[in-house]
Amino acid sequence: MAITSEQITQLTADLYEWSLKKVPDDTKAALAAAAPRESDDTGRKTLRIMLKSADAAESTGGLVCSDVGIPTYSIKIGTRVSFDGPVRQAIVDGFARMAARSDPPILKMVTNPLTHQRSHAGKDMPIVTFDVIDEADYVDITCAPKAMGTGRWEALETFVYPTHQQIEDYVLDVVLRSGSQACPPIVVGVGIGGTFDHAARIAKEAVLRPFGQVNPEPVLAGMEQRLLQAINTLGFGPMGTGGDTTAMAVHINYSASHGFVPVAVSLNCWINRRTRARIHADGRVERIE
Amino acid sequence: MKHLQLPLSRADIDGLEVGEMVTLSGQATMSIGLPTHQRMVEHLDAGTPLPVDLKDGAFFHLSCFNRESADGESHEALYLNPTTSTRYNAFMPRLIEGCGLRLVGGKGGLDHASVEAMQRQGCAYLSFLGGGCTLLSQAIQRVVAVHWTDYIAQFRLLTLELSELGPATVAIDAHGNSVYERLHEQAKQRLQSLRDGRAA
Repeated sequence: MAITSEQITQLTADLYEWSLKKVPDDTKAALAAAAPRESDDTGRKTLRIMLKSADAAESTGGLVCSDVGIPTYSIKIGTRVSFDGPVRQAIVDGFARMAARSDPPILKMVTNPLTHQRSHAGKDMPIVTFDVIDEADYVDITCAPKAMGTGRWEALETFVYPTHQQIEDYVLDVVLRSGSQACPPIVVGVGIGGTFDHAARIAKEAVLRPFGQVNPEPVLAGMEQRLLQAINTLGFGPMGTGGDTTAMAVHINYSASHGFVPVAVSLNCWINRRTRARIHADGRVERIE
Repeated sequence: MKHLQLPLSRADIDGLEVGEMVTLSGQATMSIGLPTHQRMVEHLDAGTPLPVDLKDGAFFHLSCFNRESADGESHEALYLNPTTSTRYNAFMPRLIEGCGLRLVGGKGGLDHASVEAMQRQGCAYLSFLGGGCTLLSQAIQRVVAVHWTDYIAQFRLLTLELSELGPATVAIDAHGNSVYERLHEQAKQRLQSLRDGRAA
């Protein structure tokens, strides 16, 4: 049975909408767990207001944030599925469907970098990456709209044979620069290695990893722990007005590389937008988050 | 929690301290358009009055979806939410003093030149919750005025009547205290201590 273009369009529209209206459960749990631990009074209150905001959006179907960003999709196609029509165009249509039907209507955030004109669509929108999963009989779609609060501060630098310390210092410098502006507590994704573009891609995948998983690479598990602790020592706190909850998680991915090693840092704000679903070859749609 | 009612006097603002949480009622003007800021400064420089008098008032970096009625006669504001204020650093000192503002705000703060302008003028910065869209929007009472409709919705100069907007945190006060400057300095020092500790 082939996966239809309409299924892809509908699901990409839904994933985008869901991501704007619901804070992921693990993220709400992390905010709730941080509140009683937060030593700063304003920070503690701010965490509670964040939870109230998440609940208000979820219970009324409102937006968590008015900056709906630009939609980005990561599509992983199982090699055992077939399609009855276009795939790329179906995703473009899904983006357009969401923009047209949204209630409440969404603001125009997609910006032409040459003219600064804003729209609900634009060249190469949405941003889509494709990959394949050998032998799988489903298509896995993740949506993570990227807004300016954190998008402004993400960074990449290419090192030559960096030490672990140099990598950690770079991540901390990026976090210091974003400071109060990235709507902390943030999620920090780090991509080490590969090439320029690949490092950014695995950093983005890292930021979207659900909370609570221990990195299978012991070296990276240690690095994640050290960085999380260091970031929370900086003192920016919730919404950057002070406190010890500046990050909820640090997730690191790595890939083999040459002697030159790109290190990318991707960030998500406290609402941590991410939704994910699968379309199985039998037509069943499974919402994962 | 302190409640503020616009318009505000210099004494009202002098009474605010960083870290305080406040709610706010009255008429506030907002825009997140860079071209809007540019046009506002051009008006001030040319001595042309802005379409809305901001003296003793509030100008916030809040994005708002305001929908025009079919006949174009009225507007409805559906929601609002803050954006990062540092994007407007270059314009804010001129606007703070030139307009006689008592409150500015959004999220993420403003730079030192704005802190100094705020101290001279008697103006405070409010940090609203980024990602507070549905919650903060409960404060919207009505659209008072929409100016510069040649811009897209969130770039217009929009004045809303608000009731109990917030809570917001006073993050820069009128005495030259900025939470952002203090925290950035503190973070730099703490990072250096971490690095020194590692080297030892």
